[in-house]
Amino acid sequence: MPPKSRPAAAPASSTPSKPATSSKTGGSMDAQDIVLGVWNNYQKITPQRVKLLDSFMGFLVVVAALQFFYCLLVGNFPFNAFLSGFSATVGQFVLTASLRIQTNPDNKKEFESTSPERAFADYVFGSLLLHFFCVNFIN
Amino acid sequence: MAATEGEQFLKQVSSRNTRGLLRVIILVLIAGAAVSSRLFSVIRFESIIHEFDPWFNFRATKYLVQNGFYNFWDWFDDRTWHPLGRVTGGTLYPGLMVTSGVIYHILRFLTLPVDIRNICVLLAPGFSGLTALATYLLTSEMVTSPSAGLLAAAFMGITPGYISRSVAGSYDNEAIAIFLLVFTFFLWIKAVKNGSMFWGALTALFYGYMVSAWGGYVFITNLLPLHAFVLICMGRYSPRLYVSYTSWYALGTLASMQIPFVGFLPIRSSEHMSALGVFGLLQLVAFVEHVRAQLPSKQFQTLLRALVLIIFVVALGGLVLLTVSGIIAPWTGRFYSLWDTGYAKIHIPIIASVSEHQPTAWPAFFFDLSMMIWLFPAGVYMCFRRLTDEQVFIVIYSVLASYFAGVMVRLMLTLTPIVCVASAMAFSQILDTYLDARSPKADAKENGTSDPAKVAAAVVLPDGLRSTRQPLVGIYSYASKLTVIGASAVYLMLFVLHCTWVTSNAYSSPSVVLASRLPDGSQHIIDDYREAYYWLRQNTPDNAKIMSWWDYGYQIGGMADRPTLVDNNTWNNTHIATVGKAMSSREEVSYPIMRQHEVDYVLVVFGGLLGYSGDDINKFLWMVRIAEGIWPDEVKERNFFTPRGEYRVDDEATPTMKNSLMYKMSYYNYNSLFPAGQAQDRVRGSRLPAQGPELSTIEEAFTSENWIIRIYKVKEPDNFGRDLQSATAFDQGRKKKRATKRKGARVLRVE
Amino acid sequence: MRWLLSLLLLTLFGAVQAISSAGQRLLVVLEEHSEKEKYSVFLGDLESRGYHVTVDSPKSESLSLFKHGERAYDHVILLPGKSKGLGPALTANALLDFMKKEGNILVALSSEHPTPTSVHTVLLELDIHIPSDKGALVVDHFNYDSNSAAEKHDVLLLPFPKQLRPDVKNYFAGEGVIAVPRAVGQTLGNESPLLAPILRAPSTAYSYSPKDEAEIVEEPFAVGGQLTLVSSMQAHNSARLTVVGSAEMLQNAWFAEKATLNGKAVKTANRDFIAKVTAWTFKETGVLKIGKLIHYLNEGISKKMNTSLTVPENNPKIYRIKNDVAFQVEISEYADSHLIPFVPASQDALQLEFSMLSPFHRLNLTPLSQTTNSTIFGVSFTTPDQHGIFNFRINYRRPFLTNIDEKRQVTVRHFAHNEWPRSWQISGAWVWIGGIWVTVAGWIAFVAVWLWSAPTEKSVKKTQ
Repeated sequence: MPPKSRPAAAPASSTPSKPATSSKTGGSMDAQDIVLGVWNNYQKITPQRVKLLDSFMGFLVVVAALQFFYCLLVGNFPFNAFLSGFSATVGQFVLTASLRIQTNPDNKKEFESTSPERAFADYVFGSLLLHFFCVNFIN
Repeated sequence: MAATEGEQFLKQVSSRNTRGLLRVIILVLIAGAAVSSRLFSVIRFESIIHEFDPWFNFRATKYLVQNGFYNFWDWFDDRTWHPLGRVTGGTLYPGLMVTSGVIYHILRFLTLPVDIRNICVLLAPGFSGLTALATYLLTSEMVTSPSAGLLAAAFMGITPGYISRSVAGSYDNEAIAIFLLVFTFFLWIKAVKNGSMFWGALTALFYGYMVSAWGGYVFITNLLPLHAFVLICMGRYSPRLYVSYTSWYALGTLASMQIPFVGFLPIRSSEHMSALGVFGLLQLVAFVEHVRAQLPSKQFQTLLRALVLIIFVVALGGLVLLTVSGIIAPWTGRFYSLWDTGYAKIHIPIIASVSEHQPTAWPAFFFDLSMMIWLFPAGVYMCFRRLTDEQVFIVIYSVLASYFAGVMVRLMLTLTPIVCVASAMAFSQILDTYLDARSPKADAKENGTSDPAKVAAAVVLPDGLRSTRQPLVGIYSYASKLTVIGASAVYLMLFVLHCTWVTSNAYSSPSVVLASRLPDGSQHIIDDYREAYYWLRQNTPDNAKIMSWWDYGYQIGGMADRPTLVDNNTWNNTHIATVGKAMSSREEVSYPIMRQHEVDYVLVVFGGLLGYSGDDINKFLWMVRIAEGIWPDEVKERNFFTPRGEYRVDDEATPTMKNSLMYKMSYYNYNSLFPAGQAQDRVRGSRLPAQGPELSTIEEAFTSENWIIRIYKVKEPDNFGRDLQSATAFDQGRKKKRATKRKGARVLRVE
Repeated sequence: MRWLLSLLLLTLFGAVQAISSAGQRLLVVLEEHSEKEKYSVFLGDLESRGYHVTVDSPKSESLSLFKHGERAYDHVILLPGKSKGLGPALTANALLDFMKKEGNILVALSSEHPTPTSVHTVLLELDIHIPSDKGALVVDHFNYDSNSAAEKHDVLLLPFPKQLRPDVKNYFAGEGVIAVPRAVGQTLGNESPLLAPILRAPSTAYSYSPKDEAEIVEEPFAVGGQLTLVSSMQAHNSARLTVVGSAEMLQNAWFAEKATLNGKAVKTANRDFIAKVTAWTFKETGVLKIGKLIHYLNEGISKKMNTSLTVPENNPKIYRIKNDVAFQVEISEYADSHLIPFVPASQDALQLEFSMLSPFHRLNLTPLSQTTNSTIFGVSFTTPDQHGIFNFRINYRRPFLTNIDEKRQVTVRHFAHNEWPRSWQISGAWVWIGGIWVTVAGWIAFVAVWLWSAPTEKSVKKTQ
């Protein structure tokens, strides 16, 4: 069975009981509440470090979206520039997400051989490679 | 006492070192065997580059070593594809040449000046040793048995399927690409098992190296996403998969785009879209898993599952739309013909005409893989017993590789590593079971499959059920053990014998030098190719342009060092069709084409005297077909067949055939070798007409010893403005008739 | 002492220097030795111009155009004789081979003597046609000499030829009247660009065979301007062949004769005309020579190095697409035994082709400057946006001028990896450059904060 990424005990207490009646028709109200519940839960549970990770990831998404919209508006003329700029953000996002997964103590079972420090070192290695390729590609 | 002490000895810490040392020694010996079994042609003939494609790689490597990396990167080759030239720096896979160049410079740095030719010739055997090592590493990741890896390395070292493309002298991309393939797979399995970004990044780096080395990197590009996809579909999604795949994809795609020849293909072509698709799918699945853990309610789960499905379908639809509208290029001809095998013959005759692209005949499997071909399904089956993530990989790789190997002969090469791995797994299972000198005990723990859960279960269940739950299976008698071990040993030896025999007889021919046996058994070397190329090299001006069929382009460029019109790269179909048209048309049509392209010499291969069946008359119909693809009005294939539908070269050959330049060049002056009227073409087995062809626009310049290569010089236009047919007729004594009374209106001369 | 000796040799050579640019050995083939007297002024003129004249009969055994595979003579004059065969040394193949080795031939025909078969064969190969009737000659009822041909009208009096075309220089201009007695008219085939008429018959002339008894000629061989009286052929290797329709034009009798044209008394200027015809045939006039030919990159350092008039040899083997290239060629014309600057005809232009399979550029070469011996033509252009192997080609073929076909092969390569504009030079790419560096900066900040912040597991472990 694939492991869960969060312990099951904590969220059960904070989740409102609305999902019991949830169905696709009663959607939007419940969905909004669900989302709100998820957000509150997130604020409480997640450690500081992980929040730092998440904020960096959010920042990357914003930068990626900005670049993409610019591309849609003005065009992708130096295509390699567009690709390298966009891939830099996407790659960095993915690497950071991997770091998040690896440093999450709930996943310790999966990553027995990788300590968080090792994960971070790998992360730096991967990111440096990514930056090198992007700068080389954009010329 | 001694036995237990021996056992103790084998189990101590130092025994681990001993085993490690043993392993190293075995691997070195395997590498040595791999290298030495590839040296047949070097010992029999000489250290020479074989075949056709390696000559271009060799020439490119020489250029790299002489002019440095940046000049190589910007190289504009003006001695091929005259007069178009070729932007070689941007249209080749540089990995092979750069590797050779690096080795060359390292050896020089170590004050071992090895000639670049020897480096190129011996690179493939060297890397085959490394490939055996990589196979060992890969197999060790798959199963815990220590012997499986060594067996796989041994198999990979000598199996003919791999040797065919990595003999000494076969300086082709596959020489390093197979090593990189296996090594990348090893790194990928390591990454999936560890879920480590480091291993994923390493996979990406070696994947990038592989992209720079071979066009078959597309295989990796599709196999890894397929593996990830199957794991997701099996419900085996795990964060390790996410980490390894995304870090590989992000870094690997960027690395592959650095090669100019690949450029934007990873974003633009259909062959790379599966990797992108699985990347997106993984993001989705990871996100869903993450959120699902927050809210364990079932309905939300189903809602999200439906959402995932919808997004996936939408993305797929978007992809299809982009492909249909042309923004994403559809599958290129080479790869499309793997799915639709009849496509190439009709639409892209150049691809269909390459002998390596033909479908595989079934004996080829036995020829190339020997006993592994029946061990291979057993090994794959064994994966299902304990289906871990990496063993899913074996299953997928096997299925995919088997399909491709069945479609195209050349792709036997990608099947070979997985066959070695799977058969090693099966064989080592046999050996591990039967080589165990101990008899199985009743205790579950010593059976070798000690699984704490099963032991616990066995303890819990009552006796009766216990026996059915885990039946005690084992081999007891020495007789059966000896029989099986003896049989296995015999099989292994037969395998080695077969591999060596195949290597020695089938795959060690340089194909530049031909060998045959005289009636008294001694070897007769036919060196016509090199004789002709060196004639060209020594007797023609440096800039003389040679026109020949594209098969010989690389060899002419490498050995004769003269500009050619078309060569094996076949990137410009129209140019090849132009040459085909010149070869298959009458002299009046061919001569302007040759003059326009500044052709000085024409080279043709003729095997009629020796019975050498790989000559141009046998390839002639491909020339006609390719030319007909561009000029269907001027060149028609059916004009070369008799009304009964036969392809003849004797009296009954059609006039189109008899007047074609290729026919004339092949049979010009051939009658002089035989008594009158008895000229015999030994390949086609036909008697040629008594009157040989006559040439007026080209003249014979050189014919090699066994008439295999014939070189003709293109004449300059007549000094007096006559057409060359009339000029030749005049020289032979047939003068123009006096102008008779003019009929019809006069044509007045205007200044 | 040595310099004295060399000076002596030099003056010796100067004294016998021929004006022809192609050598001075001249063979005159004349069957009957007794007729040599009739051509004495003609031969004397040739000798005064420095030719070594050998007169030989075609029947003589020692006659051979070749010696050890090379030409034994540089020029040949074939004068008419009684027999139809010219002997084994002067077969059609031999004559053509002589021309293939750049020998020049002047053939004189006569309506009273039969045309030798080898000559006829050669002319047919070259697409020059002569009437098949024996004794056919050109008759004109309006331009005849009343003195000598009052009834037969077979001696034509013609002015010197004018310019053939506006773009062709005229080497046969002069003052006076040319007498053409009893000429064999020729017609030139239409397909051969190597033929050019030197002296054409006037529009009132026609070819007439005296054996023809009819009053009206129904199917004449040719009429008017289609008839050529003196025609020329210049082969691709610039070997020249001239057919003079009337051998009598060369004889002393007609060199300076008094004649009457339509009642006016004139003096024939045959001597002058024949001198010009032989000067052209034996490569004294209408000969072009190419001097230096250079091409160079017209940008950057190379441009600075090449701005002076006396440019050094440059000629790189490789250019790049969209490069500025300059091309210069030095052409002289050979006249009066020395080289003078070549000036093309007024409506003519010298052209340069820059071609790969077909011309990408075809540009007129403008005369940039003149030296004492030559004109320097040049042009500048930009290499096309297509890489490949190109040729600089001057393919200048004009009637009466030796052919120029010069090719220089160069490679035009693509942009090197570092010749593309850098990313910061493309304004559209700034956003993405910014994107990358923003990502990198954010990443550095993130790493810094991460390393500074406390690890999470310890706190979590405690709670668990």
